[in-house]
Amino acid sequence: MATAEEIAEAYADWQERCNANTRLARMLRGWERTVHLVATDTGEGFTIAVSASVLSDLRSGLVDQPDLVVSATSEDFADLFWGDLNPSEKYLSGEIVLAGSSEDVMRLDAMSMVAFLDQ
Amino acid sequence: MTPADRTVDVVVAGAGYSGLQTARTLVDAGLDVLVLEARDRVGGRVLTEVTPSGAVVDQGGQWIGPTQDRLQALADEYGVSTFPTYLDGANLEVRDGSVHPFIGLVPTSDRDGSADTVATLLDLDLLAQEVSPTHPWDHPDAGALDRITLAEWVESAADTQTARSLVATAALAVFGCGPEELSLLYVLSYAHSGGSMSSLIRTAGGAQERRFTGGAQQMALRLAERLGDRIVLDAPVVSVSYTDGGTGEPAGVMVTAERRGADDGRSSWRVAARRLVVAMPPAVQGRIAFDPPLPGSREQLVQRAPMGSVTKIHAVYDRPFWRDAGLSGQVVADAGMLRATFDDSPEDGSHGILMGFIAGAVDRSSESDGAAGRQRVCLEELARAFGPEAAEPIEFVEQRWSAEPYSRGGPVAGLGPGVLTACGPSLRMPVGPIHWAGTETASVWSGYIEGALESGERAATEVVATLDGTALNRATGLDESSGQ
Repeated sequence: MATAEEIAEAYADWQERCNANTRLARMLRGWERTVHLVATDTGEGFTIAVSASVLSDLRSGLVDQPDLVVSATSEDFADLFWGDLNPSEKYLSGEIVLAGSSEDVMRLDAMSMVAFLDQ
Repeated sequence: MTPADRTVDVVVAGAGYSGLQTARTLVDAGLDVLVLEARDRVGGRVLTEVTPSGAVVDQGGQWIGPTQDRLQALADEYGVSTFPTYLDGANLEVRDGSVHPFIGLVPTSDRDGSADTVATLLDLDLLAQEVSPTHPWDHPDAGALDRITLAEWVESAADTQTARSLVATAALAVFGCGPEELSLLYVLSYAHSGGSMSSLIRTAGGAQERRFTGGAQQMALRLAERLGDRIVLDAPVVSVSYTDGGTGEPAGVMVTAERRGADDGRSSWRVAARRLVVAMPPAVQGRIAFDPPLPGSREQLVQRAPMGSVTKIHAVYDRPFWRDAGLSGQVVADAGMLRATFDDSPEDGSHGILMGFIAGAVDRSSESDGAAGRQRVCLEELARAFGPEAAEPIEFVEQRWSAEPYSRGGPVAGLGPGVLTACGPSLRMPVGPIHWAGTETASVWSGYIEGALESGERAATEVVATLDGTALNRATGLDESSGQ
């Protein structure tokens, strides 16, 4: 289990890498979305916004109406953000669940994979 | 004029899944139907065979994936179970002659190239969402999208050679065509019909997710049993004369088939019908003579919808030995004869089977290698990936779809630039009393068994809608007890 502080620390690292990635910036062009993260083991929620190809800071709690909801264990969120976990593998096994329109899911799937590969 | 040997409401030409589903739907609507099949079997591009050692191999279409609901319903109806395609362990990437293990959809040995591949696939998938699977020519940029090939698009969309090579491998596995042979508009429309390009190339969560216990042809065989003597095998349709009703005569067709007699000689057999459903790929339909000739746009379409080139190989071993080494059996290669392989072993692992595709230009040029030459190269490549044990199968079988006269290739037609925008509407548009089925005409999962079933339903629905109520009121539905 990862604490909210650990997830926030891992996310800050991921956010920095993502926002410096020019390929990701291109992939996120024109994609303005609110994403909720729900830790299935601790019940904690977090919110991220994507705007102008930039990932926002992680906010605590489920804020605003989400376009996408990502559900995973707190440990998987931390591992994902540290780059220790191949997101595709977790999506395929159903351990990480993405809920949203097919286009949004497609884009989040691809961007998390690119963030993983580009580290 | 020579009288008809038989008269029915509807002739269906072709007993692949599309023709069988057409016939079943028409019979259920109360129509008198006759299916003429050129081969000595039903199933079309789906063929399950048992090797001398008892291994079941699907020589053609074999998978079912999410949202392929018609196929699932058919399997459920006939009690055919499915099981997941073997996916445990690492896949292998062969790049520049070296072998690298990876997990997931995209090889990871060249991380920048892999990230580029994911980004390129996303671009392709997002573009595909904008293109209608049924009316791609209506896209505002249809002309531009249909003017270039997939290869030209990926050349500018991707930054790396790795991404270009992986997209080429995907095209070869999905279409039996290299990206340089395919119109971008066609690829986008085709991908959208199955969800996205990513869905087409995925195993878990995609088109290759599950297999049928006992093989994918079983449902076709059961449908054929149900249709009984409404199906005539060994009866290729060679010509069709038709009237569209414009001259005052009722619309109808006279279908001439060749039948093999007891002395193995061929004789013509004429069937009169109110409607004809042609359930085969356009390239195969092109061998049928029509009188009067079909409209120019249809004739042009038929000449511009060549089949992909594919040979499917199965190397059969006494056990799936690669699993001991933690390998899934899936290979993605950037060159060579086999660009993609899968573990095609039975669910119980009683045999080990590696299946691979020889596709596109390599398939065509491998003609000169002969079967023995292809086998030698395939086994060398399998041994490079899975070790020396792979070079010693107990059996090796190949199905060369390009040499099948009633498929002319596979797995599906590959349309080049300019075809969809100029001739696309002719794909499904009826010509007088003649309607078109076949997976190439499908609006969902075009190129797949699911698409074949959907196309059969659509063609049958068209036919029923054009006929008056007289025939529909007859009680000639299927009699399950007699197998008719």
